[in-house]
Amino acid sequence: MKSVFPLTRTLRLGAVAFFVAGLALWIFSGARIGWTQTSTVRTERDEITGIEYPVRSSGFVAGIEVPLAGTAGALALGGLSLLTQRRTARGSV
Amino acid sequence: MKSTLLSPVRIAAALSAFALVVQAAPQSFDFKDPKGVNNAQFKLDAPLESITGTATGISGTVHFDPADPAATSGRITLEAASLTVGNPMMSDHLRSDQWLDVATHPTITFEAVSLDNLRRQGAQLVADVTGKLTVKGVTKEITVPVSFTYLADKLGARVNNPKVKGDLLVLRTDFEINRSDFGIKAGQMTDKVAETIRLSLSIAGAAPRT
Repeated sequence: MKSVFPLTRTLRLGAVAFFVAGLALWIFSGARIGWTQTSTVRTERDEITGIEYPVRSSGFVAGIEVPLAGTAGALALGGLSLLTQRRTARGSV
Repeated sequence: MKSTLLSPVRIAAALSAFALVVQAAPQSFDFKDPKGVNNAQFKLDAPLESITGTATGISGTVHFDPADPAATSGRITLEAASLTVGNPMMSDHLRSDQWLDVATHPTITFEAVSLDNLRRQGAQLVADVTGKLTVKGVTKEITVPVSFTYLADKLGARVNNPKVKGDLLVLRTDFEINRSDFGIKAGQMTDKVAETIRLSLSIAGAAPRT
């Protein structure tokens, strides 16, 4: 079995964590196909006038940029792990 | 004797006539809304999603006579800084000098000039209102469809105080404007944000009676 050096392994685990965290945050906050929202709107109706009006309240809904950022971070860490693996392998020869 | 008998009748008749005149006179409806119900909503198409936002900073006065709605006039003002979208970065961009420049142009106003094509639809009066819309310091004359709902003696119910007497006037309108007409990134970023802005207003004004 091929041995993987500690730094390389840490970077790869970090890459997986980045990807999973970004995806999980996005899915569990509603899998919104749009930009991140930090407030949400619900509609209420005024009984006397019949006007429907928006009530805005704080609430985080992760947008599509969250899993994309997670994937980008994962790719960066993955690439870095490949570099460290090569350099460490050369140094050990 | 005759004159003393007639005097109360004359006085009563004069008072009735005065009451009719007062009732038929245009009422001034104040659209400042402490309940935060009055709102404007806007929508722009964009590649990833439609950008939708809300605004609640509405004030103004409309003079409306239920007996002569064609004579309606008034002015509605919207605080540009109250325009909000769910994404804070987008809200900042929207208010910045690149877009609405709310620091220099803090209000968006519509001043009604004339009403045409007045018709009744159920309990509502509907008219094409021509007026001057000012956005980002640019004034254009536009015509928008507006529905008027006159709610007599409903002010007390709205403020949860039966002792308060007065009427309500509800205005609703949906229309579109082109952002380039008002100098909002004219001819720019059309691949990222649509040229057309859909606007929707639902507002209620109050005319208290003493």
